[in-house]
Amino acid sequence: MADLLAPALRKLCVIAAFACALPMLFQVSVLLVACFIAIAIAGFISNRPLPALLRLLLTLLVGGLVMVQYDFDIGRDTASAVLVAMLLLKTLETHSRRDARSLIGFSLFAPFATFLQDQGPLMLTLSIPAVAMILAAANALTGQGNNALVNLPQRLRSVAAMLALALPLALAGFWLFPRLGTPLWGLPGKSQQGNGLGDRMNPNDWIDILVDDRTVFRVRFIGREPAREQMYWRGPVLWDFDGEIWSRNELDQYSSAPDVSAQGATFRYQLMLEPTERQYLPTLDLPLGAPAGSRLSAEMTAYRREPVQNLVSYEAVAAPLMKFNSALPATQRQRALRLPPNRNPRSLALAREWRAESANDSAYVERVLDWVRADFKYSISAPPLGRDSVDDFLFNTREGFCQHFSSSFVVMMRAAGVPARVVTGYAGGYKNLYGGYWSLYVRDGHAWAEIWLEGRGWVRVDPTAAVAPENILDTLTSVQGQEGLFVEGGGLSTLFDFNDSLKRGWNEFVLGFDALRQQSLLKPVGIDSAERWQLLLALGIGAGIALAITLATLLRQQMTTRDPVERAWHRFVTRMARAGHGKRVDEPAQTYGERLALSLPEQTEQLLSLSRRYVQWRYGANQTGAETLGRLASDLEQFRPVRPRRHQEKK
Amino acid sequence: MAATRDAVERFGDRMAALALVRPKKPEALPVRITRHRVYILPTGFGLFLSAILAVLLLGALNYNNNPALLLVFLVAAVAHNSLVQAHLLLSGIQLKSVQADPVHAGQTINLRLLFDAQGQRLRDGLEILHDDQQHDFDLAVAGEYEASLPLTSTRRGWQEVGRLRLSTLRTLGLARAWCWLRPDTQLLVYPAPESEHVPFPEASSGDDVQRTRQHGEQPHHLRDYRTGDSPRQIAWKTSARADRLLVREYEASAAHEIEFDWYQLAGVDYEARIRRLTRWVLDAECAGARYALKIPGEQLGPDRGPEHRHACLRALALMPSSSTEPLPHG
Repeated sequence: MADLLAPALRKLCVIAAFACALPMLFQVSVLLVACFIAIAIAGFISNRPLPALLRLLLTLLVGGLVMVQYDFDIGRDTASAVLVAMLLLKTLETHSRRDARSLIGFSLFAPFATFLQDQGPLMLTLSIPAVAMILAAANALTGQGNNALVNLPQRLRSVAAMLALALPLALAGFWLFPRLGTPLWGLPGKSQQGNGLGDRMNPNDWIDILVDDRTVFRVRFIGREPAREQMYWRGPVLWDFDGEIWSRNELDQYSSAPDVSAQGATFRYQLMLEPTERQYLPTLDLPLGAPAGSRLSAEMTAYRREPVQNLVSYEAVAAPLMKFNSALPATQRQRALRLPPNRNPRSLALAREWRAESANDSAYVERVLDWVRADFKYSISAPPLGRDSVDDFLFNTREGFCQHFSSSFVVMMRAAGVPARVVTGYAGGYKNLYGGYWSLYVRDGHAWAEIWLEGRGWVRVDPTAAVAPENILDTLTSVQGQEGLFVEGGGLSTLFDFNDSLKRGWNEFVLGFDALRQQSLLKPVGIDSAERWQLLLALGIGAGIALAITLATLLRQQMTTRDPVERAWHRFVTRMARAGHGKRVDEPAQTYGERLALSLPEQTEQLLSLSRRYVQWRYGANQTGAETLGRLASDLEQFRPVRPRRHQEKK
Repeated sequence: MAATRDAVERFGDRMAALALVRPKKPEALPVRITRHRVYILPTGFGLFLSAILAVLLLGALNYNNNPALLLVFLVAAVAHNSLVQAHLLLSGIQLKSVQADPVHAGQTINLRLLFDAQGQRLRDGLEILHDDQQHDFDLAVAGEYEASLPLTSTRRGWQEVGRLRLSTLRTLGLARAWCWLRPDTQLLVYPAPESEHVPFPEASSGDDVQRTRQHGEQPHHLRDYRTGDSPRQIAWKTSARADRLLVREYEASAAHEIEFDWYQLAGVDYEARIRRLTRWVLDAECAGARYALKIPGEQLGPDRGPEHRHACLRALALMPSSSTEPLPHG
């Protein structure tokens, strides 16, 4: 076989590779888009291999450019951009059939990388033609492909048929192939730690948390569900503030739980926690007892002995209203009032002034929250703060997210002599309607405050939730510049309110499908939580059915002749066969016509003429005019066998 | 076209040597390819793509990335279906006949294979392979195709067609589906003629031929072209007028009969004798002389014409080889 590809075939392969790279172009900077398009054009027109040295130089240059664009930050985005760059560079050195095949194979990585970044409708739409082009190119590569580009529409039609035919099998695999409950490895380029909240809270870390869309846990309520605004999932409690960073003491988790009693409603739930690499277990505020295998600390956070490195599942009960039966221990009170020295003088002065003007602690808290409601704005792209971070936030920027609000609020409380602490955790969640469970993502990470009110104990106050809806400047979604999935979370429910049921359907059925959903897939047949072998059995059965459908279609698949006369003849024969006059496989058309004429004496003339004309057209040397052909086709189409008269008489 | 074969194909070739592979022995034509005898193995590209799909599957499962999983399963399902399609492409094809005109040993046999197809299916991208000779073709719906393959003839006598491979890479080049064809057709290979022209055995006969040629400027008789006639005998101008190929037949008198006698060539090596007789038969036919051939156990002619020539050459071709059956020298 020829070593060099036909130019048209080469161009088709380059187009296919570019179609795969196209979705990725929406995710890189303008400079890189220009660069990538330039490479693709060069790949499209280059006819002979470039010198190896030049190729190496070009590769280094483009690789370097990508790295510079991403500030040498090795991560998922960078890796994807490098991949696309290398894919497009490969088009420059695609000249043999073998090169073309490896180009096509590697092209499949491009849509994959795109989906890692973005599973939005645009990317999905763009990846369909990409796959079709890949298949068309692979198909063209089985031939010489001298007119691969001219044949392209025809080829794409047959590829579309192939894709349609592949759907039953693909869907069976998609829904029934056993999913991993726990990832084998973490997302590339994300922080080395697990997806849990840390022991510290500083603004820079938290920005990362707010854009991380990994799942932290899924939770299913047994019986009643609390309102979503009330869903605060408790994590580590931070006591200590040095002016910049909030932190906790490692030893806190070994303290013993306070004496509490539940008041009012309780909620029971089952929670499945992804590996967080942390010891704490998120529990619904406030936990009534520690989940199995853990213990509650003095600050009511559940801790395990070992970090969570595998999927863990636990059941727990929460009581939003709790009575603290003992007084605040002196050491805790001391810690809950401590402030960093020589910082935030204006805030401290204001706090003391307002407390003095208020009748009691509750009134003071209300006054502070009113201020937040009136003058503060929520923005995740908050400006940086100076040394007196709380002063800066309260009097200058007045713009921030949960970290700023909770930090400043607690400082205001402590300055006024109200014991207060920062609680980190997750807020809200995404209700998975089909699975009937809630999903919480890293970006649902939240920080709020707890204050000690005499007679009531620790009381949760969320200053972030006090921000007036019209003061919400930008959210996670607008910062990312794209529509995130599942963004319907939490205490900030008004922020992410999507009513797009279509998209949710897609999310529910396809994007949101996972191991947990898969286990409940067999519910209709009475299996609530499928075991692996049951799933494998279901996969076997499902794939078997899909295979049967596919094979039946393939075996029936008739070559669709484009020629109208041929098609009309074929239909004519089928019709006659249905009337009991089938054509034998080896029977020539002329003989068949004569036999038909004998068995249908009413239509002898017509049948003889039809078969003669068909034979003339099919095997005759002289070209029949288009008009005559049209008449032949329509005559064949219109012919209907008439029953011989004696049959009618018998009736 | 010469074909190169990759590792997977070579594996298939080795497999063909196994007793289990169909057809187990040469078979009579026509042969319809049934599903039992279609084999399929992935190509290098197929293995490469499977590896890529495996990597993507693992990645997609790990991140529970559903669009990526859908992509993987879709491509995998298309790949799977392409294997079935390749299988269906081959089954139902029929090898109707294998034909070849006899050639002299050492010349290239032009093997003509007539295929037709059953069912309403377009069968494109077919490759027929014999040794390292390949021919690509398509079979239209209910169509016929005559593929021709050059085949080297090695020695006189019957030559087996051997094993032919009908294969396809369609629809995606991920796998090669093939079946072996072993027609029992025997191809006749004439002996190679001696390269030098050697005078006919009787000195006078050479003159006779000479005279015949002079006399034979005007042919006595024209007849239709028959396979095996020498192009030199064709009356081109007359053929053009008659719109069919006509061949001159020269009148030669009984006096010009030549006898080629095996036993008169005593002293010449066994195979060399066959070559010389072959040369003489060709020359005599070319000259339009009547000739007879006498070989052990057989006497042909005197006669002339393509049939006679063929009978003579065939007799010479089928002479037992010297080693197996020593002949008495006369």
